[in-house]
Amino acid sequence: MSNNIIIGIAGAGGDGVVSAGESLITAAALEGYHGIMTKSFGSQIRGGEASCRLRLSTEPVLNPNGSLDVAVALNWDDFRRFGGELPVERRTIVIYESKTGVARDNLPLEGVTPAVVFSVPITEMAEKHAGTSKAKNIVVAGLLAGWFGIGRESMLAGIRKKFARKGADVVNGNVRAYQAGLEFAENNPLPEDRKLKAASGGKGVKLLTDGNDMCAAAAIFAGCTFFGGYPITPSTEIMQYLDREIWKYGGTVLQAEDEIAGLGAVVGASFAGKKAMTATSGPGMSLKTEMLGLASIAELPLVCVNVQRGGPSTGMPTKAEQSDLFQAVFSAHGDCLRPVLAPISVGDIFGLTVEAFNIAEYYQTPVILLSDQEISQRKETVDPIDTSRFQLVERRRPTGAELAKYARFKFTESGISPISNPGMVGGNYLAAGIEHDESGRPTASGEMHARMNEKRFQKFNPLKNRRDLFQIEGDPDASIGIVSWGSVAGVALEALRLAQAEGLHVKVLVPKLLYPLAEQVYQDFFASVKRGLFVEQSYQAQLYRLVRMYVDVPALVKPLARSGSNPIQPGEVLDRLREMVVAMQRNRNHQPEPVQE
Amino acid sequence: MNTTDTLPVEKFQAGDFKSDLKPIWCPGCGDFGVVTALTRALAAIGRPPHEIAFVSGIGCSSRIPGYTTAYGFNTVHGRSLPIAQGIKLANPELLVLVASGDGDGFSIGGGHVAHVVRRNIDLTYIVMDNQIYGLTKGQLSPTSARGRKTATSNFGSLEDPVNPLLYVLGYGASFVAQGTPLDMVGLAKLIEEGIRFPGFAFINVQSPCVTYGEEEQQLKAQRSRVENLAALGHDPADRARAIELAREYGTKLHTGVLYRNPNPPPTYGEGVLQRQQALRKDAVPRQDILKRFLPQPSA
Repeated sequence: MSNNIIIGIAGAGGDGVVSAGESLITAAALEGYHGIMTKSFGSQIRGGEASCRLRLSTEPVLNPNGSLDVAVALNWDDFRRFGGELPVERRTIVIYESKTGVARDNLPLEGVTPAVVFSVPITEMAEKHAGTSKAKNIVVAGLLAGWFGIGRESMLAGIRKKFARKGADVVNGNVRAYQAGLEFAENNPLPEDRKLKAASGGKGVKLLTDGNDMCAAAAIFAGCTFFGGYPITPSTEIMQYLDREIWKYGGTVLQAEDEIAGLGAVVGASFAGKKAMTATSGPGMSLKTEMLGLASIAELPLVCVNVQRGGPSTGMPTKAEQSDLFQAVFSAHGDCLRPVLAPISVGDIFGLTVEAFNIAEYYQTPVILLSDQEISQRKETVDPIDTSRFQLVERRRPTGAELAKYARFKFTESGISPISNPGMVGGNYLAAGIEHDESGRPTASGEMHARMNEKRFQKFNPLKNRRDLFQIEGDPDASIGIVSWGSVAGVALEALRLAQAEGLHVKVLVPKLLYPLAEQVYQDFFASVKRGLFVEQSYQAQLYRLVRMYVDVPALVKPLARSGSNPIQPGEVLDRLREMVVAMQRNRNHQPEPVQE
Repeated sequence: MNTTDTLPVEKFQAGDFKSDLKPIWCPGCGDFGVVTALTRALAAIGRPPHEIAFVSGIGCSSRIPGYTTAYGFNTVHGRSLPIAQGIKLANPELLVLVASGDGDGFSIGGGHVAHVVRRNIDLTYIVMDNQIYGLTKGQLSPTSARGRKTATSNFGSLEDPVNPLLYVLGYGASFVAQGTPLDMVGLAKLIEEGIRFPGFAFINVQSPCVTYGEEEQQLKAQRSRVENLAALGHDPADRARAIELAREYGTKLHTGVLYRNPNPPPTYGEGVLQRQQALRKDAVPRQDILKRFLPQPSA
């Protein structure tokens, strides 16, 4: 029995590949398993090839990566198109559609001959029992339920619900197709080591959703009542969710004519006193930057979500990459600082979205939330979140006495000035993109500009002490340290567990607050570190370079970074950690190190 | 909510809407007249300054919110309309005014006009059209005439100008008017009508640039060209005729209401309110919002 199983399924669009995967992860979540499911499609709008990967476990799943324990191919051409996304090894059990006519000992896979192969007449079973090849996904669901012992009953209930409207014949046909899949699996059992251990978690308490929906739900929880945006992959589901929900809470969604107008409307809504948000991806972010500068100088709270994808330009819209950190940090012109936050998982994005609103409101600033394609679109089981532990922050509004002599941009000790909004008697002021004095009047005074810049920078100082926005795991005195952020942090954290299991002393720092850069947190982390890695999915290793602007990173801490759509694997990180241990032992024994690179 | 304290009996003077900030405009600039007309219109409307949000972009004209006592927002070039729409949708109780110039409104920000029109968001959009970029010292504007020589068209413009009246009518706007500071009473009346109109209202103001404008554009020269639409017997409900008259932009100077839709479409805000009221009953308490992610059996 195993406590971790990775399944990959691929076929043509319309084969129901994704829906079969979704029924399995849903059943697994209901039974208390942890899991992540990712989907991948060809570039066609409809049809084309489709695949999904599921990683199910009795332990929390930190990332979806790894080679497949079980591969399901509904046809080989489509399966092969996913290449490295569905890596098959000799140990992988391969299940494929008999109709493909491929011999079991002659699979069209290059360089690998899987040991255990099942040829299953999936289409034939669907046609025989349900009278249509459309029921292929139902047969596959039955096969998976049978092989992994998950969701036998819940899938049956799901079939009954799904087809109820189509009448008893259709329901019964699909139930028979499902049972045929189950029976096939029972008559052809998997090797014992591929079966999943019973889940230890509570049944029926885990949430199951993706990062975009979780982000949108968090926005509503945080009190967001205005969303302005423009559709862009892979962020659009945030707007779609809010369009279904926000009206119920007295809010509004505006699908703007372009990215600039989307953020413009958000700036306006914030000026009017509302908590407001936009969501976009890299190209849209490029268009929004002037408006971000306006929000910074006018000191208006707002949240701007950038669901990163491969770039530059149109780049790789459906693939994850972490290459927009520089853009987030240095967006818009002029001397300016905007907080940048990054979640590492679907569960994490809830709290960080709430935090983004809190920071925006408290510091009266735009906040950039850097999600990425993987977090945004993967379905993940999430342990119950106690929403009562989140406090919601509201912007500091002026008191009656302050309104009597109101100055919107008043110099205060904290740098934060009371903010009024239209409708408030006595709070009238001029907000402006132009530099201004305390009362908001335009100024060309160099002295005033310097003081206002000082105010707008200094107000963020307390943010750098928010140690709760940094996750540190492992041995605190370890001389090997890894820094990683965003979805790839899940890979680093898994590598840490693998290293610990081997008895290696390692620690990991995961910053959720990427900017302003908390120098002290990094300095403290690096104090014991001699060697290490920045694990990042970007060509430039952007966090590594950003941290070095502020902190003396030990010379032997190097990036392990590469472009997106080619995920870094936990095993790779582990190999590097082992090499470091060897190198340090060699150094202790005063042996010369072999020349590298 | 502190936006509903409108006092209908309160009497305002134009001076109540004028701030003590000294305009940066050149002496004799047409925009001074726009401030005067606007503050008169606001006094007639009678909403207190704190219930008014006045948004602008960049340019000489866009300095105007600061010269009033309303909540002002002097934003970035070309983006006053999206920002104003966000304000109005976030707080429908506010009276939202937008000021722009020909460059701000029809060049860099021209893409937004069609969309505010089709949404019919209840804003009053006042464009101070002087056919030149004045703040940056005399470059070609989208409403500059073909052949016009400016700092960036030294040998004469090779482009036809935008026709703001025809564009906005063409987009389907329900209220389109043109005024000039030459007729202060008339301009104040037009702005007041625009504010009272239930939906998006566009008022183009022929506000000459005294420094970079041409001789025939100055108020003095306007006097001989101006033709009042009401005096011409134009029926503002006649859209086809309004379009014909709008074609004369650049050759004639019509003032007054060119088009007022007798049956305007519902405003965006009305639709928002109806939807919010209809869906409110479906709201899950915020603290329970994650329960919707509890999985249901599926196949």
